[in-house]
Amino acid sequence: MIKLSSLLYMTYFGFAVQYRKTMIGPVWVLLGPTLFIATLGFLFSEVSNIPTDVFIPHLSFGLLAWTLISGFVTGSTSVFQRSKAQIMQGGMTLLDIVAVDVMRTVLHFLHQLVIVVVVFLVFDLPWTLYSWVSLLGLVILIANGTWLTMFFGIVGVRYRDLFEVVSAIMRIAFLATPIIWMPGEFGRGGVMGAFMSYNPFYHFLEIVRAPLLGQVVSSLSWVVVAVFTVFGFAITSIFYRRLKQRVPLWV
Amino acid sequence: MGIADFLLKADQVSLSVPVFQPPDRQIMTNPLRFISDLYLGRTHRGVANLLENVSLELVQGERLGLIGPNGAGKSTLLRLLAGIYAPTMGTLKTNGTVKGLFDISLGMNPEATGLENIYMRGLQMGFELREVREMIPQILEFSELEPFIEKPLNTYSTGMRLRLAVSVSTMRAPDVLLLDEWIGTGDARFREKLRDRMNNLVEQSRGLILATHNVELMKSLCTKGLVLNKGTVVFQGDLTEALEFYGDSVGSSSAKS
Repeated sequence: MIKLSSLLYMTYFGFAVQYRKTMIGPVWVLLGPTLFIATLGFLFSEVSNIPTDVFIPHLSFGLLAWTLISGFVTGSTSVFQRSKAQIMQGGMTLLDIVAVDVMRTVLHFLHQLVIVVVVFLVFDLPWTLYSWVSLLGLVILIANGTWLTMFFGIVGVRYRDLFEVVSAIMRIAFLATPIIWMPGEFGRGGVMGAFMSYNPFYHFLEIVRAPLLGQVVSSLSWVVVAVFTVFGFAITSIFYRRLKQRVPLWV
Repeated sequence: MGIADFLLKADQVSLSVPVFQPPDRQIMTNPLRFISDLYLGRTHRGVANLLENVSLELVQGERLGLIGPNGAGKSTLLRLLAGIYAPTMGTLKTNGTVKGLFDISLGMNPEATGLENIYMRGLQMGFELREVREMIPQILEFSELEPFIEKPLNTYSTGMRLRLAVSVSTMRAPDVLLLDEWIGTGDARFREKLRDRMNNLVEQSRGLILATHNVELMKSLCTKGLVLNKGTVVFQGDLTEALEFYGDSVGSSSAKS
């Protein structure tokens, strides 16, 4: 294993170099979602007949949390292919590579926190003690992103179809999860309930978003997230121990 | 003392990998088969035995030459000894650091500057930032790339890129050095500098395993020889005898390169 400080430097270099040829660099990380929220925020609050001061915070926090989730899910399927040279040179272990990839996704996300702050100021949202739960949710989400990156990384290096499958699913999941739409007044009991109760993405989104919106995270969400976390790490550690030696042959 | 006197010990190691054989593609000979090949073809599974029952031991100060035709498994064996591939069967014991110089020109970031690539490669090799920083003056001096070091790597010529990669990768000697072909690049003058650097690296390491088709080089560096053919050891012993054995048997029956 490479030291954590070295991995952090690698993450930073990778992130900085990613935008090397652009004019405004990492500002794009902010500009993309800002444009999305500004245009679709007003459109969809009109379409769904919800006041903008309710809808835009819901959309903004949901979109940013989604970007993090989808960054983990889609990035994970090709994580080892992208680091083929490093694997074959023998310097970095799979754990090192996963750590750098996860940290880069998180670094990307941290830039977007500016949007959260702006939304809080513009709509004068209250920051309560419970809002801090969002931070806990974020930590749990990142932890799940870590096992997922290793798990999908190993599966994806063997079955290159995984990338296609995941991209297709994530497009559907984005629209099927309440991000650009809001559950009606009946919440999970309403007609759209199935899209929430049986949608793991929704529960991961909720543990980050709900506390920021001043809502209480339902116990179902905590249970689902806990189950995913425990089983995810357990299954991934079995996978890792059995298949880590195969990755250099498949990559 | 309790410290083993060997540097590296492989005991009956085998490496077999699942292979996925795509269906016959006959697009070139019969364009009409395109659709059936692309959409209806099934991939067949099989197992390829890349290495079978390979045993070897390297002790302090020993230099082993791997001899064999193309595809004999020399590079695979080196990667296995470096710990990149894990043996399917058998055991591999190492005593100290075992590092190889494999594909050193790959894995550089073309958008990043030469300097950033030095840092990245250094960190990836397991050095700390502080250590890389200390190495930089030496790397710049050796590679003679100081005037270009702040420029992105995609402005470099192929030769310059190789010089950069070589200069970083050969900075520190491991206990056991694995070499898949000798590294020589650049113009005559740089080549000479690099030869000195490589010789130094070999001197500093406590053991060497070298795979090369350059017989003269192997004679000048190695003391022992191991002849591989189709993944199995066919001869192991003194270098001159190994080269003779290879010349008599394997080399004459299969194409040399």
